[in-house]
Amino acid sequence: MKLSTSEYFIREVLISLKRNNWMSFASIGTVAVSLFVLGVFLTLVLNMNRMASQLESQVQISVYLTDDLKNSRKDTIEEDIRALQGIESVKYVDKEEAIERLRERLGDQKYLLDALGEKNPLPDSFEVTVTQPALVQTAAEAIEKMTGVEEAKYGQDVVEHLFDITRLMRIFGLILMVLLAGATIFIISNTIRLTVFARRKEIAIMKYVGATDWFIRWPFLLEGVVLGGIGGIVAALVLRSFYAAMAAKIYSTLTFFPLMPQYPFMNYVGVAILISGMIIGAIGSTISLKRFLEV
Amino acid sequence: MIHMRDVCKVYDTGVTALDHVNIDITRGDFVFVVGASGAGKSTFIKLLFREELPTSGVLEVNGHDVVNMEPSDVPYLRRGLGVIFQDYRLLPEKTVFENVAFAMQVIEAPRRLIQRSVNAVLDIVGLRDKYKSFPGQLSGGEQQRVAIARAIVNDPAIVIADEPTGNLDPETSWDIMDIFHRINVAGTTIVMATHDKTIVDTMQRRVIAIEDGHIVRDEAKGGYGYET
Repeated sequence: MKLSTSEYFIREVLISLKRNNWMSFASIGTVAVSLFVLGVFLTLVLNMNRMASQLESQVQISVYLTDDLKNSRKDTIEEDIRALQGIESVKYVDKEEAIERLRERLGDQKYLLDALGEKNPLPDSFEVTVTQPALVQTAAEAIEKMTGVEEAKYGQDVVEHLFDITRLMRIFGLILMVLLAGATIFIISNTIRLTVFARRKEIAIMKYVGATDWFIRWPFLLEGVVLGGIGGIVAALVLRSFYAAMAAKIYSTLTFFPLMPQYPFMNYVGVAILISGMIIGAIGSTISLKRFLEV
Repeated sequence: MIHMRDVCKVYDTGVTALDHVNIDITRGDFVFVVGASGAGKSTFIKLLFREELPTSGVLEVNGHDVVNMEPSDVPYLRRGLGVIFQDYRLLPEKTVFENVAFAMQVIEAPRRLIQRSVNAVLDIVGLRDKYKSFPGQLSGGEQQRVAIARAIVNDPAIVIADEPTGNLDPETSWDIMDIFHRINVAGTTIVMATHDKTIVDTMQRRVIAIEDGHIVRDEAKGGYGYET
């Protein structure tokens, strides 16, 4: 494409955006709102996925012992655990250490523990790690059968629950995405229709003097892409500050929550939103050109 | 240049506009197409730049097989033609210069060539000094001259004009005909549909008369032949 031609296209798009300023504004707004909602879903799903897989990769089993167990019995249990297949390490954690850790983890909210007074409700425990995640379940089941073991817990149910919720959100997000994309495409194609109508004289002359179909189509296609793109940028920027605010809030109350760090994660999400906006814009104008531009 | 064999045009409404028309127009011809309204004149003109397609028959224009050509080749057929209408069809928000340059821009002509060619054709139609004016500031005759400039700026082999003097007073019409004459002398074929008896009678050029979709007369140096 020649330089003067690209210049011509860009000028045409700018003139058009100005001429349909209200309709352009409405299109950009709709694209921005739709893409923002999509972006929220995307970040939620990605975060939950991450949370689930992080929990899954923690191959640790917490083995809680029954109260008032003799030390010799504890030693036997430890030996029995070590004898199992695929055990990497076994660490004894007594109840004092356990409550100290909990206190640390609660941070600002450690006053909650003060209500307990001198009582320590936590049991003694072993922290067992295995060499491969796949071995967690069999190891936990074997350990649980040992006498003196109250419970052997690992993150599996939580992980499965998280994956279930993520799956649901993905389906819901997909349905929402289709609906919103449909609405957005509709309003963009309407805007382009107005442009086509405003330019019908020019289009007719372009045809008489022998402009190619694609030369005629390009500015309209570009206008749709620009509308979608601007909407995408707005959505990405709003989502970015929204995520930053949410992240700050979550970190201040739930310190150990495994949230996706803002960079570079939000950059990727932003680019994805921008590209979706441009694609939606291109689809919208293509529909309009098919229906209203007889070239 | 233009070759028609048994060309028929039947519209979807069932109206037969052209019925087995045979005609040959050679390079450098100056042809008037005359006939009453509804006789098929407009259809004849529209077939030439493929605004309409023949229902049957053979139609060749400037080396293109109009009937069997790919739709994507139509722009290239039209680049060899200059089309002029009764209502000028200028873009009101563009200046005289921009209106003419537009015809070159949209076929992606180089910018320097645009500058040169537009000035040259504005000279031909005598509007060089009004290049900054907008169509609304011009008289009807001047607007039609801009339209002619736009039609010839890409140096077409054939100029097709549909009632170009239809909205103009006699004196202005002669200015327009003078321009056509000069373009023709320079080698461009001209096909002009008209109602203007005086012009046809005075210029003594080839006349094709259409009546009810048939060519009823084709004279090398003819007159209008109807009383108006």
